[in-house]
Amino acid sequence: MEMFTFYLTSIIILTSILMVVISANAVHSLLYLILSSLAMAVIFFQMGAPFAAALEVIVYAGAIMVLFVFVVMMLNLGQAAVEEERTLMPLGIWRGPALLAALLLAELAFLLFQQPVASLPVAVYAKQVGITLFGPYLLAVELASILLMAGLVGAYHLGRPLLKKSATRTHVRES
Amino acid sequence: MNFGFPHFMALLPVISLTVASVVVMLCTAFFRRHGLIAALTLLGLGITLACLHQQSGIAAIEVTPLMQFDRLSVFFSAWILVAAMVVTLLSWHYFRTREGLSEELYVLLLTATLGAVVMVSSIHFASFFLGLEILSVSLFALVAYPVTSLTRKDRSAASPIEAGIKYLILAGIASAMLAMGMAFLYAATGELSFSGIQTMLQTDAVHESRNLYAMGGIVMILAGVAFKLALVPFHMWTPDVYHGAPAPVTAFLATVSKFAMLVLILRAFLFARGDHPEAVIAVVTGVAAVSMLVGNLLALQQNNVKRMLAYSSISHSGYVLVAFLAGMVASTANAIKAEGIEVEAIAFYIVSYLLTSLTAFGVVSVLSSGRERVSYSRESGGNVDAETRDTDGLQDYESLFWKRPVMASVFAIALLSSAGIPLTIGFMGKFYIFAAGVTSALWWLLLVLIASSGIGLFYYLRLVLVMFRLPEGGHDGHGEEVMAPAQTTAAALVREIPVGARWLMVLLGGVILWLGVYPGPLMAEIRDILVAMRVAG
Repeated sequence: MEMFTFYLTSIIILTSILMVVISANAVHSLLYLILSSLAMAVIFFQMGAPFAAALEVIVYAGAIMVLFVFVVMMLNLGQAAVEEERTLMPLGIWRGPALLAALLLAELAFLLFQQPVASLPVAVYAKQVGITLFGPYLLAVELASILLMAGLVGAYHLGRPLLKKSATRTHVRES
Repeated sequence: MNFGFPHFMALLPVISLTVASVVVMLCTAFFRRHGLIAALTLLGLGITLACLHQQSGIAAIEVTPLMQFDRLSVFFSAWILVAAMVVTLLSWHYFRTREGLSEELYVLLLTATLGAVVMVSSIHFASFFLGLEILSVSLFALVAYPVTSLTRKDRSAASPIEAGIKYLILAGIASAMLAMGMAFLYAATGELSFSGIQTMLQTDAVHESRNLYAMGGIVMILAGVAFKLALVPFHMWTPDVYHGAPAPVTAFLATVSKFAMLVLILRAFLFARGDHPEAVIAVVTGVAAVSMLVGNLLALQQNNVKRMLAYSSISHSGYVLVAFLAGMVASTANAIKAEGIEVEAIAFYIVSYLLTSLTAFGVVSVLSSGRERVSYSRESGGNVDAETRDTDGLQDYESLFWKRPVMASVFAIALLSSAGIPLTIGFMGKFYIFAAGVTSALWWLLLVLIASSGIGLFYYLRLVLVMFRLPEGGHDGHGEEVMAPAQTTAAALVREIPVGARWLMVLLGGVILWLGVYPGPLMAEIRDILVAMRVAG
């Protein structure tokens, strides 16, 4: 039975990732992307890692969603954008992701109410993750922060407006 | 977990680099002064070098399961820092007269150097991957640093943004492969540290030739590594990215990034015991042979110096693989830990490669910088690209010797060293590799090495010939008339080369010659380190 749920989730992941790649519209891809990370969370849950599953939902489904919404908000301004928004989201588009998500939900409910909680290996909770991260992997955490800093500085530099470069420079010189 | 004062001291260079990058970043936020920021960067690198010097005789010490600091890591970190200092000076000189804000460059240079140092001392997949990512993420932004794609007119000039995106996507795929390979290996062995995996792979249950997971993991990791080293099936990005990136960044990309990866696989190689599966040896042999040939053959057709040097660096990676293969074959035969001349050859060759390409790209960078800013702003809107592009066309080097004798001589030395002409360090390196190959009787591969070196000689010497050609309109190579600027290359001549940059290049060229004539101390040092490693391991 576990094999069945595992394969069902895998199929959902693969389908939605495929749709992410082949959708012509970025917003549609985004819907499927969120779905794929939700399905990934179900996989983690089945493997006995509820903490990782929760993180997957919060960080990927949650944070990526927010990020994309911000980007859409920043890119599109004005009335024309509202019109464009309508074409981005025609009524029928939610059906595909909704169907897959419903499948996932049914599967999750099935897993939760299954009497003997499926033959889990060892469940890994937040405490173990924390102890490992701040024990042997302490340096990895520090290095990851430097990685983020490098990415931030690089993104800041490349994302600076391209126009009026010399104007920026003289402005900086004067101030 | 035990973490005491000795661990802290061993970690000091890494901490110092981190602090330097944060300080430089904060300083940039408050005082945008190019000279000040560059000086701070140099200071940070210098302090780190001093920290390294103070622990030069260190016994191997493991700092958490992730990193190990020993004489090997100290030695190679020192070379990385020296290269980073040279690149800092080059970029100060290069960006000084260019438009745009150039201070963030130094933050990224420092973080990239940190990533390289972490890679050099990592003994665990987690630190390997993180170090690699810190290096790559910094390099994405560095490659695309002068954001000039919008004003691009001349299609023949590569745009940095384009190069940056190419590097970003391909390096992303390579990293994904690497991560997948690590996951496979972890699934097969349950270990993430180099030594742990090596021991597990020798057990019967997961012997690499039998276990599909382990085998797949090894192959995927090889692919990721081969991308970073620009070995042949994964070399497509190299010429475009080297060409599009600003010259000092190309110098960094060709030296530090490759060097760190080579040292890392050297270290993983030292952990390797017992026999290597036939399939892996066959794959690596093919990659080495094809890299040497393709790199050199494609370099023949290039009229751009940066692209030519990029292809030459592909073939150099192939040469190093010969020494790795020699070690792999030797350890198969004797079932012992890889030791002896092969490892020595690798270590010596990568140092020689670092010095040689740093000098070659350094000359390109110095020749590309130092232009008057006036000429840019006057013609902005017009032919911007001809003003901002690097001095990298073959025609720019036409009779360079008669205009800039010092730079041309240093460049010639670097090229001859790349070609492996005696009296340069490149010759010693190639000789070492050859000796390692002979010891392990890799005759076919050595034949390919000789043939491709012969092909390589052609394009290195062609460039030297172009530089020494008498200028047109010059009388007979003597006197003042010749020194007058030739009309065709007037743009290149506007550039003033300050004394400091010239001395830096002369110093690098001198080191190449000095170590080529008298390589004894370097060889003794490397041998000493390897002996220490063997005792410790």
